[in-house]
Amino acid sequence: MTSHLRCDEVTVRFGGVVACNKISLDVEEGKIIGLIGPNGAGKTTLFNVLSRFQDCDDGHVYYRDQQIDAKNTHDMINLGMARTFQNINLFGEQTTLENILIGAHHLIGNPYSNMLWLPSARRNERELTDRAVEIAEMLNLGDELDNPVKNLPYGHQKRVEMARALAAKPEMILLDEPVAGCNDEETAELKEIVKRINSELGITIFLVEHDMAMVMTVCDYICVINFGANLAQGTPSEIQSNRDVIKAYLGEDDE
Amino acid sequence: MADINAAFKAKMVQRKWAAMGVLFLAAVIFPMAPGVESWMASEATLIIMYIMAAQGVSILTGYTGLVTVGHGGFLAVGAYASALSTKYLGTDLITGMFVGAAMSAFVGWALGLVFLRLSGAFMAIGTLGFAFFVGTVVNNVPIFEGREGISLPKNHVIGFEIGDIGFYYTALAALGVTTLFVSLLVRSGVGRAFMALRDSEKAAEASGVNRVFYRTLAFSLSAAVTGVAGVLFAHYVNYVSSEVFADIWYSVDFLVATVVGGSAVLLGPFVGGLFVAFLPTFIELFVDQPGDLAFIIKGGALIFVLIVAPAGVVVGLVQLFRWLRGKLGGDTQ
Ligand SMILES: Nc1ncnc2c1ncn2[C@@H]1O[C@H](COP(=O)(O)OP(=O)(O)OP(=O)(O)O)[C@@H](O)[C@H]1O
Ligand SMILES: [Mg+2]
Repeated sequence: MTSHLRCDEVTVRFGGVVACNKISLDVEEGKIIGLIGPNGAGKTTLFNVLSRFQDCDDGHVYYRDQQIDAKNTHDMINLGMARTFQNINLFGEQTTLENILIGAHHLIGNPYSNMLWLPSARRNERELTDRAVEIAEMLNLGDELDNPVKNLPYGHQKRVEMARALAAKPEMILLDEPVAGCNDEETAELKEIVKRINSELGITIFLVEHDMAMVMTVCDYICVINFGANLAQGTPSEIQSNRDVIKAYLGEDDE
Repeated sequence: MADINAAFKAKMVQRKWAAMGVLFLAAVIFPMAPGVESWMASEATLIIMYIMAAQGVSILTGYTGLVTVGHGGFLAVGAYASALSTKYLGTDLITGMFVGAAMSAFVGWALGLVFLRLSGAFMAIGTLGFAFFVGTVVNNVPIFEGREGISLPKNHVIGFEIGDIGFYYTALAALGVTTLFVSLLVRSGVGRAFMALRDSEKAAEASGVNRVFYRTLAFSLSAAVTGVAGVLFAHYVNYVSSEVFADIWYSVDFLVATVVGGSAVLLGPFVGGLFVAFLPTFIELFVDQPGDLAFIIKGGALIFVLIVAPAGVVVGLVQLFRWLRGKLGGDTQ
């Protein structure tokens, strides 16, 4: 097994709150890995650490065995890591196409020739646009290309976020609650998309999700955290029958 | 739906360029038209300079989302850079524009770095402070000759002396270049990065947009365009002095022009620049003792636009037009 992303005893404190407490886990290359845990467990905080939106107070993160603790946020995409956000974070006034194109930002080449539309930039822009349209079609957004994303239904917006992440040609995508707030139909659609991204494009997926039916059916492996600390790891069936996990989710009666 | 939208958009783009073409053509033949007196060409030159200054503001405020109340400072940087270069190096107007643009771009880049952490109201206050700072510098540092000012020789373009009409055409050509530049910029990947930072810094950074680089780039390009307007301001009257360039009202005027016209559309600065630059003259045609009437009207227009059409007059009119067409059922949509 090759490790794509690994964290080693990652600790994050917000004042007195320890959002992550020595979390260690490993995301295997080419797999779909789930990260679950009750509300406030520290999942989003850990994602922020992995994508360099948040410094960790202790511990290290390795991307393909390269330590990334001090990387710039905007450089993560050059390494091959893209992400989506728990609360939709799109460029609302801009169209679906423009949103997807931003995802391909690190592929625009020299910014000075790009802004003057020199011949090389012109060719490059055309390629990026063609690819953005392809991605939109793959995610069933082909009809919405020229629509400002603020006009789109929720499920569509979630897919635009995914399309934007895909436009970067990433090797790994972090998805923070991809189906939260979606109805059954949208959830089913997104689930298929996540599987296809993984199987057809070979992209490693690391996802946080509260929808257990989804997590148990799409993930190859699941990590559970609770109160910022590792609780359990294993295959979906192992997790489903893990007593600690059941306790954490149902709450403890005994004290 | 998407196809209709795309077709509609393509039509709008065509119309925009058609409108732009007509506008420039009208501007080219304007001085030759019968009944046009020379003061009108001078007035038109003033309007051109305001439009250009507002274009600079639109790059930063409209497309990158950083409100600037300090672009009068860049106007001064451009003006003095060219004035000094003309006085001491004997450069002509064209070279002066490049010198002014370069100097202003550099100062803009530096200011962008200094203000890296500012946004919103703090950015507005910071940039206002910059304009005051520039005013103080040109007032007190000897080389700028303070209130005495620097008188410049007659304007030359590639060896030829130019008069008022020649100056008008030079300014118009420069406006053509800045308009082309801004329109290319905002449709490019770099323009997308600016707008991404404006709409969500987090999502922009997750997409690989280097916040420091693009913010400072926006600052310097914005400053360069307004700096060229400053060069024109200086050579328009062949004179620079702190009396003129330390005036904070230029900064306010440019912001008002940009916001009223529409800060994130190509035609916005044209409408806003025309409005702000021409208003005082327009009022004088009707009122004997205008006093501060122009200021009052500008302020009123700003408030009105912010309430009724926050994206500016141009966008507001397009929306109104679309709505009317829908009402009248004259469209297939
Ligand atoms: N910026 C912050 N400042 C202070 N406390 C924070 C901050 N971000 C998160 N926290 C706290 O850290 C803990 C973990 O939050 P986090 O958002 O990572 O949880 P989560 O597992 O993503 O929860 P959810 O399932 O509700 O999204 C919570 O107690 C939260 O209140
Ligand atoms: Mg969360």
